[in-house]
Amino acid sequence: MTPVAAARSPQSSINPETRLKLYRTMQECRMLEKRAYDLFMQNLIKGTSHLALGQEAIAAGFGTAMQPGDYTFCTYRGHNHTLVRGVTMTQILGELMGNSSGLMRGKGGSMHLTSVKHNMLGSYAIIGAHLTIANGAAWSAQYRGTDQVAVCFFGDGTTNIGAFHEALNFAVIWKLPIVFVCENNLYMEYTSIHDVTAVEHPAADRASAYGLEPVLIDGNDVDVVYRTALRALDLARKGGGPSLIEAETYRHGGHSRADPGKYRPDEEVKEWLAKDPLPRYRNRLLQMGIGESELQRIDDETKAAVDEATETAKNAPPPPLELANKDVWADGGSAWRN
Amino acid sequence: MDVLMPQLGETVAEGTVANWHKKVGDTVAVDEILFDVETDKVSMEVPSLTAGVITKILVPAGTTVEVGTVLAVIESAAGASAQPPPARAAAPAPAPATAPARPAAAASTAEAPAPGWYAAMPPSMSGAAEQYTPRAANDSPTRPASSAHAAPRGEMRLSPAVRRLAAEYRLDLTSVSGSGRNGRITRRNVFDFIEAMKSRPAPAAASPAQRAPAPPPAAAGAPAARAPTAAPARASAASAGGMLPFTRIRKLTAEHMVRSKATSPHVLQAVEVDFFRVDQVRKTVRDAFKAKHGHSLTYLPFIAHAVCEALHDFPNLNSTVQGDGLVLHEHVNLGVAVDLGAEGLVAPVIRQAEKLSVAQLAAAINDVSTRARSGRLKPGDFSNGTYTLSNSGTFGTLITAPIINQPQVAILSTDGVRKKPVVIETSDGDAIAIRPVGILAQSFDHRAVDGAYSAAFLDRVRKLIENGHWLVET
Amino acid sequence: MAQLTYRDAVAAGMAQEMRRDKNVVFLGEDVAAAGGVFKTTVGLLDEFGPNRVRDTPISEQAILGAAMGAAMTGLRPIAEIMFSDFFAVCWDIVANEIAKARYMTDGQVTMPLVIKSGNGGGARFGAQHSQSVENWAMAVPGLKIVAPAFPADVKGLMASAVRSDDPVLFFEQKSLYATKGEVPDGEHVVPLGQANVVRQGSDVTIVALALMVPRALKAADILKEQHGIDATVIDLRSLVPLDTQTILREVAKTGRLVTVEENPRLCGWGAEISSIVAEELFWDLDGPIVRITTPHVPLAAANNLEDEQIPNADRIVAGVRQLVD
Repeated sequence: MTPVAAARSPQSSINPETRLKLYRTMQECRMLEKRAYDLFMQNLIKGTSHLALGQEAIAAGFGTAMQPGDYTFCTYRGHNHTLVRGVTMTQILGELMGNSSGLMRGKGGSMHLTSVKHNMLGSYAIIGAHLTIANGAAWSAQYRGTDQVAVCFFGDGTTNIGAFHEALNFAVIWKLPIVFVCENNLYMEYTSIHDVTAVEHPAADRASAYGLEPVLIDGNDVDVVYRTALRALDLARKGGGPSLIEAETYRHGGHSRADPGKYRPDEEVKEWLAKDPLPRYRNRLLQMGIGESELQRIDDETKAAVDEATETAKNAPPPPLELANKDVWADGGSAWRN
Repeated sequence: MDVLMPQLGETVAEGTVANWHKKVGDTVAVDEILFDVETDKVSMEVPSLTAGVITKILVPAGTTVEVGTVLAVIESAAGASAQPPPARAAAPAPAPATAPARPAAAASTAEAPAPGWYAAMPPSMSGAAEQYTPRAANDSPTRPASSAHAAPRGEMRLSPAVRRLAAEYRLDLTSVSGSGRNGRITRRNVFDFIEAMKSRPAPAAASPAQRAPAPPPAAAGAPAARAPTAAPARASAASAGGMLPFTRIRKLTAEHMVRSKATSPHVLQAVEVDFFRVDQVRKTVRDAFKAKHGHSLTYLPFIAHAVCEALHDFPNLNSTVQGDGLVLHEHVNLGVAVDLGAEGLVAPVIRQAEKLSVAQLAAAINDVSTRARSGRLKPGDFSNGTYTLSNSGTFGTLITAPIINQPQVAILSTDGVRKKPVVIETSDGDAIAIRPVGILAQSFDHRAVDGAYSAAFLDRVRKLIENGHWLVET
Repeated sequence: MAQLTYRDAVAAGMAQEMRRDKNVVFLGEDVAAAGGVFKTTVGLLDEFGPNRVRDTPISEQAILGAAMGAAMTGLRPIAEIMFSDFFAVCWDIVANEIAKARYMTDGQVTMPLVIKSGNGGGARFGAQHSQSVENWAMAVPGLKIVAPAFPADVKGLMASAVRSDDPVLFFEQKSLYATKGEVPDGEHVVPLGQANVVRQGSDVTIVALALMVPRALKAADILKEQHGIDATVIDLRSLVPLDTQTILREVAKTGRLVTVEENPRLCGWGAEISSIVAEELFWDLDGPIVRITTPHVPLAAANNLEDEQIPNADRIVAGVRQLVD
């Protein structure tokens, strides 16, 4: 199948202000994620983290298209999705470093970034579970009669787990206002997705099984992502039900920090690095007449912001010990007996 | 491995092997009961610490030996696995197989046919089988009275509740009849026994032993008798001119007092203390304190606080004589004598009392006294005391010469506080004021300290009480 | 007061809360049009309409995921898992997601949801449809658990479960659905975390849950009439929060504890209570603690085999007699 919604006259219908926002958002994602990588190498970030370097266009495109009331659900590879909803860099780095400046003050860690006040309803570590939970948020919006939409991001590997199928079927029959976004970076952890999937396009080829239109896009073209997102969100808002979008992309690093990604063929890596969404968009903007200095300014501002956030997060104290036993229950406590 | 006579209490020096559960040549497993031991406080089953075969029994049943004596020898068989003791019966044998026949299903009400599971529900789920209908109240037969035979020596299974009560009340359980299976002494049996003891009329001169005004004449001061033997006689109603046998508690107390006097050369010293400042504080906080803590603030916590502080500077009074020296104790574990009436005296200990404030001491004193009177003390409450307070004040006595609580070296009696005229030195000359005054009297062991040391200590206590800037948090 | 069956009390409790708060919604398999496979939700669709009472496909993960997402965004959903055995199909959502979201997000997320489920045996449904799985949930921090024995508590605990801002697993015992009991009229709420002393005695304290409660009461009658043993029976009602104080208070009075559990032996809730009592009431115990449970095997389907396995009044009587001397 050929990718639909291919970049046809990308210059039209997206205003320059939005384009700069898209660029800035991608740059922030890129620089922050790269900083996370560096901090891990310096041993300031422990545990594991899953970086989305190379996949910025999807987070930025959707993040810009979504309205503040819309809900985000994503996987453990969710730093970008968290950032684009308005969470500060300090809070993200602080959570990765596990100190009191963190978004959850170290209670959740990299894989569970959540900011309810930004309607960023969580990063989820169990493959597939959050698709069913995103349905619940969409149902809630439908029940309450608002125009909120839930957007649920997941990887190609998710399309083979049971919860994916339950969630898609459920969303369609209840006509929920939800957009399912499969970020197909061609690898399910360390294995090529093609080796483990019965169909060629893990999400788009399953859409018809649920009565949905197949949508396959270049996930590294932020304009395409942005327009596709607007269309799907609009459909959901008007009561048209769910969409399933497969966005092809590639991650620059391994699955997680522990993985250098050496199982991928060199030519493939080279081919995709050439389609890096950031320099690609930079070139497009320059061609459209946006000044180099403007872009440079964005780059510099972003770097400064990342540096400042890094300092703030680094200097924050560890979380207070009493947090360990707090907030199991709504009353803030954890008592199971009297 | 040697099997030793265990130490069952810190002041217990010997024990009696009451009964062997095994003989030479028997195999024993870890935790299997090996023998029963009796001391003057309690009887206990002693489990084996090792698995193996008993090769020697050196002390026959019925013999009393010192703590630490080798009683038997167990050889661990090479490669022998420790077999677990015979498994307790698992869940009891299930009921006879024929369950009562289930009643026929009540016809379901007229409804649309329900989906599969509901229709598949067996008649048993019509409810009657599981319905509980409370019985009408009627007279049920009381428990058949079990034979009150005494347990055979080898069957003294003492539950934790029974052991605790026995320790607290210093009971000889051989005199408690057990109505449990195989003559087991149950908690109820002990409760009944204690109730029976309580309702015995008190002996005529009912002053607690520790407050005996003077030690018995030297001729009668024989060294402490050995472990008691005969079962205690039950006291019958005292008749004028008749014989009133000691209860078990009385007998034990008597022995302890004689032993203490025989061990420590007692010297009595006293100071007269003006409780004016203390009274001011007590009056100020009285209602708030009572409201917050549920009990009143008496003089005793103030005295206790001053004593703890003074002992810091006079540590020889917070010690134990050992051989040719004094063991100085790091903390003040303050014993507080509580009179249990017919049950005698107990002196539960407040650990590390030097760390407590007046309010905390008040709470701790209240706690141990309440628990002592309601029989809720644990064995651990009695151990490791280093200094004792004996509060005689409730009866308004002038002065008491208390008997030291071995192995301590001093004890302080607090007697009645009453208003007296005292001379106050003011800048305008001497004047007479009405002050609440009471005597604190210390008996000290003259082996440990001399009069000057003790006097200086008492002076310090007095000054702390009289001049202290008392703060009681409420 | 009204005489209600246990199953009707479920619907009554749910209706009471759905009338009170329009954010209470309900979803599950065959729950709306059919009123539930055990007829526990009859009448709810009629009264509250298809927006609030919804039938779902056979998709346990999707059902509970939807409940969680809705609970996170302002609704108070009740979800049904038809047979509690099916929790195994969607345990990820219960144990990894629902139980932990609030903690991991540093208190940002509130999870006011109820999962009701048909639990336990006695109905000859075989090993995969008869389990008592409340202990699976008890082992996971972050879940509240109730298991009523009588219709009044069914209604009252359902009300509390819905009103709680925490996730509550509401275990209904299938063999009790047809039993009847007095249920107060009007608003009826029984707090979570409160055990109920349903019979006061003096010789032994029996702690039981759900189906084991009426059986323990029957046993207590037999013990009194035929053996002169007077038993206290505590209906635990709530596993988390656990009413430890009531248990300790009552065991201190008698010095003896017996637990009666429908679950298979290992790691049943009775083991936890035994441990607490052994630790905190050691010096008041006048005998060992005894647990009476289903043996550690799957439940059989045949009448006599299943009856042999799940503790009945006779076995409870025998267990108590062995202990009390």
